[in-house]
Amino acid sequence: MAVNFDDVNENFRRIALTGRLDIPGTEEISTKFTALAVSEKRRVVVDLTGVSFLASIGIRTLISAAKALQQRGGRMVLFVGGNNAVAKTLQATGIDALLPTFTETEEADKAAVA
Amino acid sequence: MASSGVDSATDLSIGANTDELRRASSWLGEFARQHDIPSEQIWRLDLCLNEALANIIAYGGAGASSSAIHLHLGVRRGPHQAEAVITVVDAGAAFNPLSAVQKQKPATLADAEPGGLGLPMLHAFSDSLNYRYSDGHNRLTFGVSWTEARQ
Repeated sequence: MAVNFDDVNENFRRIALTGRLDIPGTEEISTKFTALAVSEKRRVVVDLTGVSFLASIGIRTLISAAKALQQRGGRMVLFVGGNNAVAKTLQATGIDALLPTFTETEEADKAAVA
Repeated sequence: MASSGVDSATDLSIGANTDELRRASSWLGEFARQHDIPSEQIWRLDLCLNEALANIIAYGGAGASSSAIHLHLGVRRGPHQAEAVITVVDAGAAFNPLSAVQKQKPATLADAEPGGLGLPMLHAFSDSLNYRYSDGHNRLTFGVSWTEARQ
């Protein structure tokens, strides 16, 4: 499991998660991911295109970070690209209705900074 | 599902801890590929297995943690339809996921409570789901089915 990030500007960060977000994978990245995502008024796109498996524990981590970010005036959106497995998991759990989810990177960026 | 066709099965016993989750997943993946189970069905079974085991590890209590969890995976092929089924047997606290009340989906992120997604995923990604409790053990069975490609 890997976490990489790219700061587009001071308030806009892209975070890419790669690997298997099951319990061991989520435990591996959870602290780093939350620290990278949750900051005052930050806009964040979480790139899930490299996630091979998204379990409920992984979704829980996304939701917790997104809520904490929202409470600090920021916003998180998800970018899934062509990752149908992740998209279906988000859809089945209703998370795509809570966290804006996009298949195009330009749309994700636009929604994050809107 | 027709009862004809070749039946194959495999078994695995694992400890009730998170380190064992990937061993169970590898066991599933290896058998599934050997038996040409489509990747979509492998993924769905893997999700269901992961959530079932995570639930046992988190909520099974002392009964679960002090005993092995037994897994049985079988595939059955008919002339046109096929199915793969996993049974998970554990000695933890009795828990029927079919009768458990599922949380309502929150309308907004602010209303969302982290957690409680395992059961909805189990229901969403399995084509069949059965449970019984006998001899002090939970026996949860879930399966996925698919249409065989014509030769």
